[in-house]
Amino acid sequence: MERLSERPRSATLLAEPLGITVAAVVQHLAVLESSGLIRSEKVGRTRTCRIEPLGLRTIEDWISEQRTLWERRLDRLGKVLDEE
Amino acid sequence: MAESSILHNTFVVERTYTKPTGKVFAALGDPAKKRRWFAESERHDVEVFDLDFRVGGRERASFRFKAGTPFAGASYGCDNLYLDIVDGHRVVMASMMEFGGRPISASLITFEVLSIEAGTRLIMTHQGAYFEGADGPDRRHQGWRDLLERLDRELVA
Repeated sequence: MERLSERPRSATLLAEPLGITVAAVVQHLAVLESSGLIRSEKVGRTRTCRIEPLGLRTIEDWISEQRTLWERRLDRLGKVLDEE
Repeated sequence: MAESSILHNTFVVERTYTKPTGKVFAALGDPAKKRRWFAESERHDVEVFDLDFRVGGRERASFRFKAGTPFAGASYGCDNLYLDIVDGHRVVMASMMEFGGRPISASLITFEVLSIEAGTRLIMTHQGAYFEGADGPDRRHQGWRDLLERLDRELVA
């Protein structure tokens, strides 16, 4: 995952420094892909894997962040009004 | 499988202020006042804040996260268009948000200013359409932590 966070790579490239078989890496990548942590794309005979940013958090989290942002803003508005 | 990449959501934030409605409404449209409560924050620097408070007028804000925040140096901002203004009562705007130059959401934001005995009730309704990849810097930071924990579990398994 660390090496995928640098840039997308193929299973072969991922297997090399680990000293394990490509088949073992492919199996591992399938688990990560089913968990939504990565996604892969096959071009010709090479399957390239990349990190799936949406797997890291959900849009729901971002919405709740937006809500907090507005809560803070309207609290600050109260302070601005109090200082008048 | 075809799957929608847009998520719709509405949230409402309400506050009661002890000031009369005229004062509260003024703070929604006065550029200097609005900059203080809308744009400024301890988490980012304000690089741009322009407000042209009239129907058809624009409001542009651009921020850059400060050092020490998870996304230090990254920019985000909004480009708003005023659709309806009823003096002392209502403000409606369309808001486009971007993060690092990428559009992440489009929203309809409505402020209702109501006179009550205690002063003013302000109701802000935020109706948003969030695009694929929409995220927040806090969440991304948390996301990476979660990811590393999940990876740990994966490696132990």
